[in-house]
Amino acid sequence: MAIKTRNFNEARQQASTNIELIWWVFMRVSGVLLVFLVLGHIYMNNILISNTSIDYDYVASRFSQPLIKVYDLVMLALAMLHGTNGLRYVIDDYVHHAGWRSFIKFVLYFLVALLIATGTMVLFSFPFNKVGG
Amino acid sequence: MYRGREGQWAFYLHRITGVAILLYLLVHVGELTAAMFGAKYSNAILEFFHQPLFQLGLLGVIGAVLYHALNGLRILIMDFTSWGTRMQQKLWYGVLVLFALLYIPTMIKILPEIFGGGGH
Repeated sequence: MAIKTRNFNEARQQASTNIELIWWVFMRVSGVLLVFLVLGHIYMNNILISNTSIDYDYVASRFSQPLIKVYDLVMLALAMLHGTNGLRYVIDDYVHHAGWRSFIKFVLYFLVALLIATGTMVLFSFPFNKVGG
Repeated sequence: MYRGREGQWAFYLHRITGVAILLYLLVHVGELTAAMFGAKYSNAILEFFHQPLFQLGLLGVIGAVLYHALNGLRILIMDFTSWGTRMQQKLWYGVLVLFALLYIPTMIKILPEIFGGGGH
């Protein structure tokens, strides 16, 4: 069960398992990092430029920069895990039928794993001209 | 009382924006994965999402991120300070004021781009 409390000591007492406590901490640590990463990402791609001007060349030139690769990779992993765990809390609260709950979670985890994998692949596939030396 | 007061609204908005952001994130990563298949497919997909309807949706997602980020910081203050929970209603109004201060200029910047034929 999700922990519903308002500080770390209470969370430690309420946590049903160690893993649940680790997720409680993870949500807060990843959350504070994502505030900066995601707002920075939005600023770069929606405020500094017009989002409607984004094309393949722009995407390819960004994905080719090592700093952007690291930035996007960290943001991808943290956002996916933070979002998936958040939706897990929501599913636990509102889906009461055990079978449906398992099924929905299975579909969610499968989709997220797939997108973390393809998202990582696309980041490391740029620049194209360096593939294979 | 908690029910129906500010804290409950803050909580529901945090959940709704969180779920919306995750759904967008799944589409967003999928959309950029197309870049692996080269300029032709990637540009077709990017242009598809440049239609005003999707751009308005994106502006909504930006608002959702902004609220979720600011209210998330409010949750951290409540978790890790002795005074945060006592001040949670005032903190939520602070979240709403900061949200308006950041989101209104964002809308003024982006809305004309959506309806002005793009920023090419």
